[in-house]
Amino acid sequence: MVNKASYHILRVGMAITFIWIGILILKSPESWGGYLQPWAFSILPIPIEQAMISTAVLDIIIGIMFLIDWKTWLAGLLATLHISTVLTVSGITDITVRDIGLLAGCIVIMTESLPIYIKNKFKKNV
Amino acid sequence: MTSQALIFTLSALGISETVYLIKKRMLSQGPICIVGEDCTKVLTSKWSKIFIVPNDVLGLLFYIVCSSITAFLVIGIEPVWFFDITIKMLIILGSLLSVFLTYLQFKVIKAWCFWCLMSACTIWLMSVIILISKLY
Repeated sequence: MVNKASYHILRVGMAITFIWIGILILKSPESWGGYLQPWAFSILPIPIEQAMISTAVLDIIIGIMFLIDWKTWLAGLLATLHISTVLTVSGITDITVRDIGLLAGCIVIMTESLPIYIKNKFKKNV
Repeated sequence: MTSQALIFTLSALGISETVYLIKKRMLSQGPICIVGEDCTKVLTSKWSKIFIVPNDVLGLLFYIVCSSITAFLVIGIEPVWFFDITIKMLIILGSLLSVFLTYLQFKVIKAWCFWCLMSACTIWLMSVIILISKLY
């Protein structure tokens, strides 16, 4: 298992990344929408600007949850699903390839902060 | 933008640190003292509060306001000039208060608290960033 100090360094680092990305998206949502693949545009039920603002709000909420260490496992789960979606809709490019690292970090945070009752459920099934 | 990113990062570090201290205080537990053994002595001294407000709560409020104002400046929420002056004033005041609190640890309490020193260094670094961004 991950060393406790390393876990907290990862958690705070991830928190800063998520909140800062959220702020940057809020600054210019249209330009961030440009990272979406054309096929993803066509299935969006809402305008791209609204979709990007929602993404920014989600990023900031996840970041705050990581930062204050509140329901961290839930934030980790949301972050994992969110980054997986980002990877799917933006494709693998020179820029988005770093999301793979972020995804790995989110998975580590989620698994390390899982409450004992959830961990026990997994153990029973093994 | 670079200075704002750095100030935001330091504010976020301050938030996580003060939240940790508040949680430990509410659970009546001493924080892990990475360097030295005097954290509890400093954190339970009569200087750990300003009037009735614990210093960790004041610190948390300071960092939340700093990070929020930095976010407003990045997004470009008006009035930018007001937020710009406010953050500079806040950081200068915070730095001065940190000098006083560090002096208290050194001369009055005669004990060092790792978390308090880390918070002081965070605020001083924020003021250095403000100064450097002014020069260039």
